Amino acid sequence: MSTREGLLKLVGPESFSDDPEVLKAYSTDFSLVPPGVPNYVVKAKKAEEVQKVIEFANAHSIPMVPVSSGAHFYGTTIPKQGGIVLDLTAMNKVFEIDEFNKRVRIGVGVTWEQLTSELAKKGFRIVMPLLPHPLRSVVTDYLEREVPTNTVYDYGEPLQSMEVVWPTGEVFRTGSASVTGYPDSPSKGGNPSGPGLDFYRLLQGAQGTMGVVTWANLKIEYLPKIDKILFAPVRDLDYALEFLYRILRIRIGQECLLLNSVNLATVIADDWSRDFEKLSVSLPPWTLILVISGFQRRPEEKVEYEEHTLAEILRNEFPEIQLADHLPGFPGLGKKLLPRLRKPWPEQATYWKQRPKGGCQSLFFITKPTWVTRFVGKVEELAAKHGYPEADIGVYLQPIEHNRACHLEFNLFYDPASDSEVERVRALYGEAVKVLLGEGALFTRPYGEELTNLVYERAADYTMTLRRVKSIFDPNKIMNPGKLCF
Amino acid sequence: MPTEKVSLDVTEAANFIFDMSRCIKCKGCTWVDHIYMPGVKYSTRCPSATRYLFDSYGAYGKMRIGLALLEGRLEYSDELLKILYACTLCGACDVGCKRNLDLEIELALEALRIQAVKDGKGPMPEHKKIAKNIMEKHNSFGAPHKNRTKWLADGIKPSPKADVLYFVGCSASYVHPEIAQATAKILDASGTPFMLLPDERCCGNILYSVGMVDEAREVAQQNIDAVRQTGAKTLLTSCAEGYRMWKVDYPKILNMSTADLGFEVVHLTEYVDGLVKDGALKLANRVDLRLTYHDPCSLSRLSEPWVPWEGERGLWGVVDPPLERRRGTNGVYQPPRDVLSSIPGVELTEMPRMRENAFCCGAGRGTKEAFPDFASWAAEQRLMEVKEVGAEAIVSACPWCKDNFSEAVGNNGSDLKVLDFSELVLSAIGSTGQGR
Amino acid sequence: MAISKEAYSVLESIVGPEYISADPAICEGYRAGPGGYECGLGYERVMTRVPGCVVMPRTTEEVQRIVKVCNRYGIPYVPYSTGFYGARSHPHVSDALLIDLKRMDDFEIDDKHLYAVVGSGVVYSQLQEEAMKRGMYIIVGGGGSQVSAIANMIGDGWSPLSYRIGLPHRRILGTELVLPDGELVRLGSLAFQDDPFWGEGPGPDLRGLLRGFTGHRGFLGIVTRMAIKLLPFQPERLEPTGISPHTTLQLPTNRVKWINFTMPSKDSMQQAMVEMAKAEIGGAVTKVPIFWRAIARAGSKEEFWELWSKETEETIRDFHVLRVLLIGFTSEEQLEYEERVLMDIIGELGGEARRTRPTDESWFKNADSAGMWLMCGGYVSVDYVIETVEHAIPHGENYAKLKRNYTPPLMPDYGDPGWFQSFELGHQGYSEFLVYWDPSENTDGVDQFYLETSKENIRKRFYTSLLGSHQPLYLTGPAFGPNYHKWLLEVKEEFDPNHVCHPPVPLAHDAFVERAEWMKPLKDWEGPAIADEP
Repeated sequence: MSTREGLLKLVGPESFSDDPEVLKAYSTDFSLVPPGVPNYVVKAKKAEEVQKVIEFANAHSIPMVPVSSGAHFYGTTIPKQGGIVLDLTAMNKVFEIDEFNKRVRIGVGVTWEQLTSELAKKGFRIVMPLLPHPLRSVVTDYLEREVPTNTVYDYGEPLQSMEVVWPTGEVFRTGSASVTGYPDSPSKGGNPSGPGLDFYRLLQGAQGTMGVVTWANLKIEYLPKIDKILFAPVRDLDYALEFLYRILRIRIGQECLLLNSVNLATVIADDWSRDFEKLSVSLPPWTLILVISGFQRRPEEKVEYEEHTLAEILRNEFPEIQLADHLPGFPGLGKKLLPRLRKPWPEQATYWKQRPKGGCQSLFFITKPTWVTRFVGKVEELAAKHGYPEADIGVYLQPIEHNRACHLEFNLFYDPASDSEVERVRALYGEAVKVLLGEGALFTRPYGEELTNLVYERAADYTMTLRRVKSIFDPNKIMNPGKLCF
Repeated sequence: MPTEKVSLDVTEAANFIFDMSRCIKCKGCTWVDHIYMPGVKYSTRCPSATRYLFDSYGAYGKMRIGLALLEGRLEYSDELLKILYACTLCGACDVGCKRNLDLEIELALEALRIQAVKDGKGPMPEHKKIAKNIMEKHNSFGAPHKNRTKWLADGIKPSPKADVLYFVGCSASYVHPEIAQATAKILDASGTPFMLLPDERCCGNILYSVGMVDEAREVAQQNIDAVRQTGAKTLLTSCAEGYRMWKVDYPKILNMSTADLGFEVVHLTEYVDGLVKDGALKLANRVDLRLTYHDPCSLSRLSEPWVPWEGERGLWGVVDPPLERRRGTNGVYQPPRDVLSSIPGVELTEMPRMRENAFCCGAGRGTKEAFPDFASWAAEQRLMEVKEVGAEAIVSACPWCKDNFSEAVGNNGSDLKVLDFSELVLSAIGSTGQGR
Repeated sequence: MAISKEAYSVLESIVGPEYISADPAICEGYRAGPGGYECGLGYERVMTRVPGCVVMPRTTEEVQRIVKVCNRYGIPYVPYSTGFYGARSHPHVSDALLIDLKRMDDFEIDDKHLYAVVGSGVVYSQLQEEAMKRGMYIIVGGGGSQVSAIANMIGDGWSPLSYRIGLPHRRILGTELVLPDGELVRLGSLAFQDDPFWGEGPGPDLRGLLRGFTGHRGFLGIVTRMAIKLLPFQPERLEPTGISPHTTLQLPTNRVKWINFTMPSKDSMQQAMVEMAKAEIGGAVTKVPIFWRAIARAGSKEEFWELWSKETEETIRDFHVLRVLLIGFTSEEQLEYEERVLMDIIGELGGEARRTRPTDESWFKNADSAGMWLMCGGYVSVDYVIETVEHAIPHGENYAKLKRNYTPPLMPDYGDPGWFQSFELGHQGYSEFLVYWDPSENTDGVDQFYLETSKENIRKRFYTSLLGSHQPLYLTGPAFGPNYHKWLLEVKEEFDPNHVCHPPVPLAHDAFVERAEWMKPLKDWEGPAIADEP
């Protein structure tokens, strides 16, 4: 029996395809990562199906690429060595919203759009990254460590326990979901760690190379009763960052982020052709966006004490920061942005990163806020060198946990139909990652071959150890081969 | 569970097998009390553990070693003797442990030394020399006994009979006469008549401390009889080691209470504090000095009165009758501080390790004689702390501390002043230091 | 076979003669018991050994070289920071090399970015003080101020303050790990550069090897350096006051305050925790077992027993005290706000505030953890589980029921179901069950109870911290995951092919069950082949 026949027999014709058009759809994504065609696409709805396919792949040494989202930006799901794309988007059940324990358990195919709507109906939200694509898998985005816009929760990661099918085909539950018979157990899956090893860590940042997660428990929060969104125009980024060092450390605020004029314009422009150019030049160089919220009890009083402290600090220590409930010159911004921060990008609209030109190469890394302006300067320098207009670069700065670190992201827009633009961005990106890595930028999520190779060459002992661990979980090297250092 | 008879008698090491076997290795004996932990520097108060680093040198190691010795699982060796004796018995371990538990660590260490001597293995050779000096010449230095009163300068006139008996001690008699002289002058200035023993002899501190309990007992009995004969109501000393010996260890080895001595044992710091607060002594002279006070171990942690105890221990380790343990709470901490800060011009600044957390100077109880490098090292550690708080002078209340610190300062070539409490008080006494 | 002369001389050349010894007295000082955590029990008696040699390295490089020598010469070794964890942190085979890490006490702090970098020899007490001096704080784990920060961060690492701050797993940043075969791997930002401020990646996160829910007790290598997250606190000083044994931190009550509440029922306590978490207030909240109150009041062991003997099942059952910590992170006004919200909640549930001392000696500096041994001399936590509040309560109740069969030799606690609290602002819950015994009694029942709790967890589908090396691996393995033990053992085999890193852990408890006569009757699962100790 051929592989094709075996697979078809295993999953049935409804779940199988090797139609060239279908295969083509999985061979590229919105990144500049070169295309890679799978040989087959299989859709799975249950963990048992996933298990069967993985066992099959193992037996025949066929590469497997798990896909859980409807949109991809980093090339993680482009097969490098053919094989089977395992489409998990149908595993999109919201199993339970557990109010008592502030927990939700969802299938890996549940999208941001789906989850945020379901949660909102019950008065809940989930801490979110900035404006995720509505068709992205929530579980996968958190496995891939997308950085949330909320800086105040000390317990950081929303991910709790999970179910995974290992590359060897075994179904396994991590953390406290590992008890026999879960979820029919007193254990609710609230602890991500263990058993024995912290398996969940090995699955994070793995781009599907360590196993296939089928569902996960995540933390949810109550929707605040009161939200106030505040803005400050920023010209001196270092000064604004000092302000953030000061206020985020004393736990002021919920969502807190900075967008440069290009990125903010990209997000808020209503009519693109009419508004974007104007906004790009009229918005301040940077805008600080800070949300303060009142919770379930005495919400006004919470807002009040935060406002008092903010006012005092601004008056006594940061008089140059004009923090207000509006951005001068841009009426209605608060009303527009606040709901956006709690939901993914609208499904019908062009994704914000694609609005300027269609293509967007994101360059992002973790760093200390105190190094941000240095890196911004460096990128501008390199952009100039490659003829990329500085005025076209989108920048997003996301403080992390009281501003102990930050996620710094540069969005390099380009027209994918223009070879010269593509080349220019490729060259700029290629040099930028090299230079920035050398200057201490932490590319903790290396996407794309170039960056990945640079990172893993540099982190030699980490790479060696990672490969040893991988060889245990994926002895036949079937899971998304060619990604990371595998 | 049957009960077992137990007592705090240090001459029977078996009395402390329970304590040794219940050490939980928390190192409360080694660390500064966590409430007072100053940070990554000055974090420990056991000089032995800090210097030698192996667990075996901390009390938590010594408890295990002691147990093994007593249970016949370990033989004596040079290393073992060093572990037992490279230690000033400063009491930091005892107080540290007793913050949370009911274990008699100090007594166990004393008992192990007594056992080592009983077994013919201890003390260290240097200690044997000192023992000989004491038994033959009645001082630890082996100096001529007749020179013991040479410290008496012109103008110092002890009374033939008085309520207060000043017990000078070997160090102030022979090596640091300035302390004895200052003490005498302070007493004069306050109008306090004092007498001396007609034939003062070594208190026997080192004898007891190294485990030579029989010799120490002999000395103790002689000394107590001599004091009783004078009719003194108060025995005053300017030496912390002597203070502890008289107040705590004499009763301990004679199986009596401190209260049964028949006279009160008082240190100069306590006495002067009383005089100042009563108005009998005026400290009016300005002394412009930024200083820090070093708590001598024997005056602080180890100074609470002794009450003998025996009883039974049963289930859960509960003892009957209940035992009020000596936890170092009521050491002489505040009186010297009150006196020093009452002197005009004095800026009293505290070191990170103070009171019951003080880091021993390293000299006491025979340690310097047998382990001079260790003693120097400990003093240097303490002097770093002094420097840290920007003090110009370190003041203590024991000639052995003064001796060790002075030597360390001399070796370092620093200009830090090393003073005894008595000297500072004397310089603060005006021409009419008397209250009346 | 004792460490060979050749091996000894190589080790000596690595650290210097002052920092190595095979002297019997030195080695005896490192004995696990008979006193200590989980000591005075069968496991300690049967499984632990005095080391054959002790070495004290100063740097990661020295540790690496030592470990490679052990691999070369077949010398079993155990990493050791303070040894306070008790039996399981000590050698389990004869003539092992004990690698005492106390000299690795380097310390750096980045105040602005809220982290400290420590060596294995730095203890929580030191770290907490350095943090608090600068307006930050950490969790001092239940083990106490005296434990190595690194050892606790990869072993346990929670306290009532985890209500706000959460799991230690999230607080581990850049780390240096010497693998069992001597290879060095740097995790997080240290993989790329020299500043250890970040812990993730690159890519899959190898911090997953450092621990599971609880730690490895040293069988998967040695962590020599770690950057640890510090958390923002408030600016007022917690002033140390008092003289031993009554030392305590005076709390600036406008910014830090404990409040004790009497609640009408256990349900209302649980509800209070849920409401607090819902309102997102508080720095800590926990049920107070009546036991703690007795310990706090007792000035001695005898006083404790006098107090404790007055308690009954009724008094235990009817004692519902909730203890809440408020921290004014933002401002005084914030603390006042939280207090109003708290009073609303307590009022709704029928609770009442009690007079509460404005001091703390237990959770900021955890100076009194050693007091756990005051009552009886023997103590172990037979479980300390982070799951949800819903899990926490029945978990403790189950243990209380099971415990009756083993009391004595366990200390009578009148059915106390242990303590529980809320963690991570209500996303998690915590339960801990502590047991005590007199080591002078026959303690076989304690060993058996310990194992029975594992079986009970499996039967009732509770999660448990006592996985990995803490219980028989072949008992818990099939029941959790399932078969987590298979992966654990494969990882172990991959990185410790010469079996020199703390043998026979993680199969030590499996070995114990085979070797101890009184444990054999409890074995009703398939175990691995266990070699006798030569």
